[in-house]
Amino acid sequence: MNAPRKLTLAEWDAHYEHLSGAGLQQPQYGGRLSRHVALEGDLRLRRLRFDESPAALRLWNFLLTENQRLHEARAGGERIVGAMKDLGTVPVMAYSLPGLRAFYPDGAWWTPCLMECSDGLLRQAEALGIDASFCPVRAMLAAFQNGEHFPRPDLLICSTGAVCDDFSAVAQRLEKMGFPIVWWEMPRRRAPGPGEPARSLPGNLSAPQIQVECVRAELERIGKLLGELAGQPLDAEALANGIQKANHVRRLLASLRRAVYASPGAPLPALEMLVAEMLAIHFCSDREESIGVLTDLLAEAHGRIRQRRFVVPEASVRVFWVNPVADLRAMNLLEDWGGRICGSDYMFTHALDLIPEELPPLEALARAALADPMVGSTRDRARRIVAECRAHRAEAVVVSRIPGASHCAREGAIIQEVVREELGIPAIELEIPPVCDAMLPALGSRLQALLETAKARRRA
Amino acid sequence: MQVFFTSPWVPAEWIKAHGLEPRGIWFAPQFAFDSLPLSAGLCAFAHAAVRLAEKERESAVIFTTHCDQLRRGFDAVASPALAPVFLFNLPATWQTPVGRQIFISELERLGDFLAGLGGHAPSCGELLETMTHYGLARERLRGAAAGCAGRRYAEAVSRFHWDGSCPPAGDPFFRSQEGPSPRGLVPVALIGGPLPRSQWDLLDIIERAGGRVVLNGTEAGERSLQPAFPLEALRAALAPGAPGTPPSRGARGRLEADEEVEGRQSAAIPPASKAGCKPALLEALTRAYIEGCVDVFQRPNTRLYAWLKERLAARGVRGIVLWHYVGCDLWRAEAQPLREAFGLPVLLLDADEAAGGSLRIVGRIEAFLEAVS
Repeated sequence: MNAPRKLTLAEWDAHYEHLSGAGLQQPQYGGRLSRHVALEGDLRLRRLRFDESPAALRLWNFLLTENQRLHEARAGGERIVGAMKDLGTVPVMAYSLPGLRAFYPDGAWWTPCLMECSDGLLRQAEALGIDASFCPVRAMLAAFQNGEHFPRPDLLICSTGAVCDDFSAVAQRLEKMGFPIVWWEMPRRRAPGPGEPARSLPGNLSAPQIQVECVRAELERIGKLLGELAGQPLDAEALANGIQKANHVRRLLASLRRAVYASPGAPLPALEMLVAEMLAIHFCSDREESIGVLTDLLAEAHGRIRQRRFVVPEASVRVFWVNPVADLRAMNLLEDWGGRICGSDYMFTHALDLIPEELPPLEALARAALADPMVGSTRDRARRIVAECRAHRAEAVVVSRIPGASHCAREGAIIQEVVREELGIPAIELEIPPVCDAMLPALGSRLQALLETAKARRRA
Repeated sequence: MQVFFTSPWVPAEWIKAHGLEPRGIWFAPQFAFDSLPLSAGLCAFAHAAVRLAEKERESAVIFTTHCDQLRRGFDAVASPALAPVFLFNLPATWQTPVGRQIFISELERLGDFLAGLGGHAPSCGELLETMTHYGLARERLRGAAAGCAGRRYAEAVSRFHWDGSCPPAGDPFFRSQEGPSPRGLVPVALIGGPLPRSQWDLLDIIERAGGRVVLNGTEAGERSLQPAFPLEALRAALAPGAPGTPPSRGARGRLEADEEVEGRQSAAIPPASKAGCKPALLEALTRAYIEGCVDVFQRPNTRLYAWLKERLAARGVRGIVLWHYVGCDLWRAEAQPLREAFGLPVLLLDADEAAGGSLRIVGRIEAFLEAVS
């Protein structure tokens, strides 16, 4: 049986004809992938290669129609909540209430990549005083200003405190441009002191009780605002129900990650896995549909594993990837050059962990929020990376720098140091801009050197 | 023992009351900047704080969470093998009770850390005495701000952060109420991140180029002096002669001398239970810092703008020099909003570039001042 292929956009069009002829069933947002180039200007798709499965088609169409679906929801009378920075907390609350739809405007950071900068968002952000010394999330600012992407949210909520300075600065700029923001405090997570009352958190972490209480109080305040927006209070029962559904998504993702990352060869490509993982944070604006998308992907992965049909061969170097890439193409390139992803920390591992269901729901959500890898010590984050590297037999680690991101200045060195000390495997730091084509020679030589080093260790 | 602190929003009086020596890092002679590869995106100030913590093993260093670079700088040095370090969680929000709750719990935790360094838990009297001293010193320095400009003011404030000192009442520092722009110098505001001693040349460069910094809104400048205590209420928190609580005779004498200079009357201290006085003092300390904090990292940072608005107008400021470090997104992002909010020209000066007073930086300052004069 042939190994599954990765297809170019043109190849997908032909494949689409074939599948349609064979009776392919699609959701309402389905269709050819190439239409996103023509209709929305997602030019980057021409440079990417995609998994050939209908499950992957559904995933991509789900992702690429998000703005359109948000506009439709607004037109249908739903209220739109813009959650910012917390990556996985406020949307759980918003989707617990009827008539609310939450999304992350932060996601606009991929728009310059998808549109190969033809969107002009980065240039517009620069005109607003936010230049290339900031992380590409600055694209969000221009997207708010020009209103050409997502709808203007009815309520904007942003976590602050122990968050990335880039994001905090960009959000503050946004507020000054006339987009009111509700800020909520996220303390920097610390280890409990000796004898200090402590609470366990998802991800094998713990935090002082006082910090959990502070976050819980903040979430309670946010919950009231969401309730006012929905016209119905967010009570414990509704939130508990919302948490159960969020956990359903997280369980599916956990199964998918386990199946794909532990498999001898990769049954699904790194790029599709990256997109699938992103569904955890706000369900790509449709919780129920995200469950369907993940279920299909999981079935596809299991089927291929049973048949030992791998899209990336078994000999590939097993790489643990840290931080999301500004250019999606980088994930294709890693596989082209002989690597495969066997684990990831795309800055929202707390959105992958289950929210404790045995606790009062607000307390549970506060604990989950505090487990955010970006609000704690970089060493905490590095320890989790090491544990997952061990679990999935990683042979190398890539810390992907986000251009201009304030956290990247220091964290890469710390993560590399811990990885080398604990595991002795090679690790490198790479900076990947929103469109990395011009950097391919440099990127290729660094990644290939890493992969060769890892292969050499196999022989040693 | 010296305890270096990297943000003026860490209450130095709390450290001092524990019997240790608070040292604002901006004035430390050993606080030095390495040359850094720009591509690394490291903030030179945060990096220098890390270096100091690595070298000064007999001292302690307090980092704060108010920016990514300092927060993660702490991660780089948080090792038992190095100097004792502490990360103080400064809340970014200030409009809800949570910020205050975080701050007060951080004070308590800092107290434990200081005790671990050999400090002692202060009595209410000691704490009151120290708070009063710092409160009065801040008040005096604030009062002098409008009439004392440039390097002299930066030095006085920085020295206060170094050892809590303030020129004595009657000192020429307080008497020389100069006009905002003597000799026709162009009044400018210097706003932004930390301006440590090694970078005070900037103030001279501005002056030589025909300007005068009449508003020092850098991190350890005038804006760091806002925390103020309601002294009468603090006195009410202590009972005279309560066991373990009264200020020492010498200290009280000094306080009264301070108050005389300020034209104040020494109020009688009404009774208060010993158990109740310390929480009241901690609450006052917290309130002073939460309400007095004027900084760019706060969300929203409207207080910074309100603070600036009042002073920019009162001092006839004609241009703003925005001082920031490579990698400091918090300040860099404010360049345009500052222009929009105040209608003043803003010169964005890169701290790393300015070090040493390069010809380029001199040229930029000269051109800026010429344009706004």
